Amino acid sequence: MALDSLMSRKLQDPPVVEVDIHAASEDQLMEMSQEMGLSLSLDEMKTVREYFANEGRSPTDIELQSIGQAWSEHCCYKSSRVHLKEFVFAIDHPDVLARGDAGVMAFDDDYAYALRLESHNHPSAIEPYGGAATGIGGILRDVVCMGAQPIALVDPLCFGPIDSDAELPPGAKHPRYLMDGVVSGIRDYGNRVGVPTVSGAFFFDDRYTGNCLVNVGCLGIVKRSEVCNNFVGGPGEVLILCGGRTGRDGIHGVTFASVELKESSEEESRGSVQLGDPITKEPLMHACLEVNRLGLITGMKDLGGGGLSCVVGEMALDADCGAVMHLDRVPLKEEGLAPWEIWVSESQERMMLATTEDKVDAILDVFRTWDVLATVVATTVAEKRTTIMWGDEKIFEMDLQFLTGGPEYCRPYEITIPKGELGEVVPELPANEKALLSLLSDPNVASKEWAIRQYDHDVRAATVLRPLVGESNDTGPGDAAVLRPLHDSWRGLATAVGCNPWFTALDPYRGGMSAVDETCRNLVAVGARPHSLTDCLNFGNPEKPDRLGQFREAVRGLGEAAAFLELPIPSGNVSLYNESPKGGALPTPMIMGVGIVEDIRKCVTSDLKEAGNSIFVVGNTMREMGGSLLYRLYGGEGGEVPSVDLDALKKKIDLMLKAMSKGMVRSCHDCSDGGLAVALAEMCIGGSMGASIQLKGLGDLEPYELLFSESNGRWIVEVSSDHEEDWVALMGAHAQWVGVAGGPSLMIHGGGIDVALEKLKKAWNEPIWNIMG
Amino acid sequence: MEHNGVKRMRPEEIKVCVLRIEGTNCEEETHRAFAAVGCNPEMVHLNQLTGHGPASARRSLEDYDALAFPGGFSAGDYVRAGAIFAARAKSALGKEIKEFVEAEKPVIGICNGFQILVELGLLPATDGISDVPTAALFTNDSGRFECRPTYLRNENRGKCIFTKKIGRGRTMMFPSAHAEGKLMSAERRFVDRLEDNDQVVFRYVSPDGRSAGYPWNPNGSASDIAGICNPAGNVLGLMPHPERALDAYTAPDWTRRRKKEGDGLAVFRSMVDSLSR
Repeated sequence: MALDSLMSRKLQDPPVVEVDIHAASEDQLMEMSQEMGLSLSLDEMKTVREYFANEGRSPTDIELQSIGQAWSEHCCYKSSRVHLKEFVFAIDHPDVLARGDAGVMAFDDDYAYALRLESHNHPSAIEPYGGAATGIGGILRDVVCMGAQPIALVDPLCFGPIDSDAELPPGAKHPRYLMDGVVSGIRDYGNRVGVPTVSGAFFFDDRYTGNCLVNVGCLGIVKRSEVCNNFVGGPGEVLILCGGRTGRDGIHGVTFASVELKESSEEESRGSVQLGDPITKEPLMHACLEVNRLGLITGMKDLGGGGLSCVVGEMALDADCGAVMHLDRVPLKEEGLAPWEIWVSESQERMMLATTEDKVDAILDVFRTWDVLATVVATTVAEKRTTIMWGDEKIFEMDLQFLTGGPEYCRPYEITIPKGELGEVVPELPANEKALLSLLSDPNVASKEWAIRQYDHDVRAATVLRPLVGESNDTGPGDAAVLRPLHDSWRGLATAVGCNPWFTALDPYRGGMSAVDETCRNLVAVGARPHSLTDCLNFGNPEKPDRLGQFREAVRGLGEAAAFLELPIPSGNVSLYNESPKGGALPTPMIMGVGIVEDIRKCVTSDLKEAGNSIFVVGNTMREMGGSLLYRLYGGEGGEVPSVDLDALKKKIDLMLKAMSKGMVRSCHDCSDGGLAVALAEMCIGGSMGASIQLKGLGDLEPYELLFSESNGRWIVEVSSDHEEDWVALMGAHAQWVGVAGGPSLMIHGGGIDVALEKLKKAWNEPIWNIMG
Repeated sequence: MEHNGVKRMRPEEIKVCVLRIEGTNCEEETHRAFAAVGCNPEMVHLNQLTGHGPASARRSLEDYDALAFPGGFSAGDYVRAGAIFAARAKSALGKEIKEFVEAEKPVIGICNGFQILVELGLLPATDGISDVPTAALFTNDSGRFECRPTYLRNENRGKCIFTKKIGRGRTMMFPSAHAEGKLMSAERRFVDRLEDNDQVVFRYVSPDGRSAGYPWNPNGSASDIAGICNPAGNVLGLMPHPERALDAYTAPDWTRRRKKEGDGLAVFRSMVDSLSR
């Protein structure tokens, strides 16, 4: 190895190597970055060299590894931060109580809720079961370290086509295998820790083959007086490492997440996938929340990406301190780990607590009752430096601002002007009735019951609305899940996901806006007022200008929409480098929204309730076929991507919520994938009831456009006959009467559709069961 | 209160031990269920009963009037469901638990708790408490974890103290969520003997109360049995979750038809009534 001459042993046992970075040529610097798995660029390596020149010495391997972790895209958002600052970070709201590892928002006068969504894409593409399970583990810790009890999990997932047996690119795993593994991983982890999985989404497209997306979200509840800091209280405190032991699993997870997947990723990176252990996590959560509730800690942070190397520095620096770490005290899974491995390992189920010396015994007592390991490993100091000791030997000493500051880039980006109707190719379409049945059976629309019933969505006994609604065991799709987090109050929390990656691919700006629009529609459909958002921005390699352009435009769209609607985004996550051997994954700005339900007893579901009630469409249907499921299914190209009228959306949200609070609305469904026709069919399926609909009055468009356009800002509403006059007066021009609930079939006059209920149910219910078994 | 030589208690005097270890995860709602009917429940870690842990947290089983094994995945259930919790409880606390049951104090095991009671030999215990399990809750016929609403008909003729106040034949909705709930036994005339002894407490039925197959019976359990009690009637084990059906708004179809309260409350109320009247 060409680098051998630069390496010398600083410590024999355990091995610590000193690296003569000053003598390295440019080629050797790059080789060093690659061989050591640092994923640093040449310029970054030169910055590191300059730092150590000023320190007057050479770095150790553990110091270089630490920088590799801290400066990864995953940890320091070096490519994305500049855009997020411009469009997202500035959205403020008085209800934002904290922006830590999870965002914290006011729920009522005494309680707050925590929210966060993040990705676990690359690990899941290599090892779907473990990748997804540890994704759940990580998001739970983010919520727990705010002091919040996790109360719900939300999992939006994107895979290649599960119903295709086309040849896969080299190194890619079959989407069916990935989906089965991911769902099993979420099930086995989520069910074991006892947090209900209440919402999610599935997206299927060829452009996710080879780079599936596994996004995991969590909600928690916490007393406002018990919201925990993610940093230490000051110098002179101790840090207690608790939970699982540290091992070789999960080494270089963050640097692996910050490069493209390739054919050889499986062999090279399997070690970066961590091993999940929900049965260490479950008591760990109890113990951490208990010591927080008892006021025994000053701060808490989870060990996620970068492991100890990130958590120790960040906890100290955020309180303008430094730390002295005794690395030899860390409990290990196996002997023989090099110090740098201990320092960067991402072994799961670990948390770090900060406290003052006098509270240590009380904390250790709580952990003993729960049979969970807890070890004092570090002390905090006034100087903003981290020192690592192995026994009496100093093996690491770095300036924290240099280490965790990380670079920030304004990489070149390229914005493609969306073509809209120029170049639109209208596909050859079958009869509308046939198209409707095909859309209902498309895996993007069809029932996800196969997955939903494997998740415990009822544990904690606070689930008011589930992902499936209607009669028991004979259900349709819900729009948002609703939880009742406090048992002495009727106030509820609703959560839903919104995203349309196909809109985003054609028009990233409108795609970003549409994600916000859809999220709000889903929340409003159950009677919740949208309150906050969290996002997971899954995009391609930011070093490719077109990918970064997509990212910027999507962030601009969602940022503008969120700002206009006064929806803060107190937490979020960016996942770049979602590329596969076939090209970029679909740009996917995944949004998880949270809404407040004033009184859960007034919640509304999407299943039709009563024959004879009138059905209305709220919002305008336009000729916006770009990215629609109809076009995707039948080979249409281009087209206008649905626009968002924020002003109208805001007005409609207010009116809809008013109508619901007055009990006018019996059922309500968001209109999205597959347009009006699919939404109506889903309401019939859930309600076990047909409907008689007519298209006239919806505008001067072709029937297929009225039926299948995916224009934003629309709901379908069943109005209680007692309240119909009030409804019409309230909604005015925003609502159009289209028909009546009831009958044995869904009839759409002027659309050429008359399908028996049983046929609709079969088309929607069976496909995924048939594919997944 | 003393009445005819039998201790009668006011609801708030009934101390309930809601027992947990790592992976028990339905303890909060089980605690809430007992509190909702006026009892005085406490969540207790097994380590607090065995003395493993700080002295200040020490508890004694004999101080409680009822015992609940909540649902969850105790110790991960990586062996047979409930086996590890049962083994740990038995080695450290076997005698105390046996005395508790023999004193005819109420014991309920829900979901994982039912699996634990079977592993402890406390159910079905048709021939008395057994050293080795005489039945098992086997993997669901579907081979999958099943989270879905289930409807139960009260089949007990009056022996089980958790259903005494519930009309025989009444159908109730308690949701199920488990991967291993199929009651099986190698014993001869297993179901018949349960019937003879009035040990069958709940059967899975359709919402209108009729016998029905999957998915109404989510696991393929013998004779659609969802819950059984011991011959004395003080120990109940069931797979579905009454503690998840305390109010009207957790029912799966509450936006279509609204009840006054959740069906599950009746189970806990029945126990209180049995002890207090």
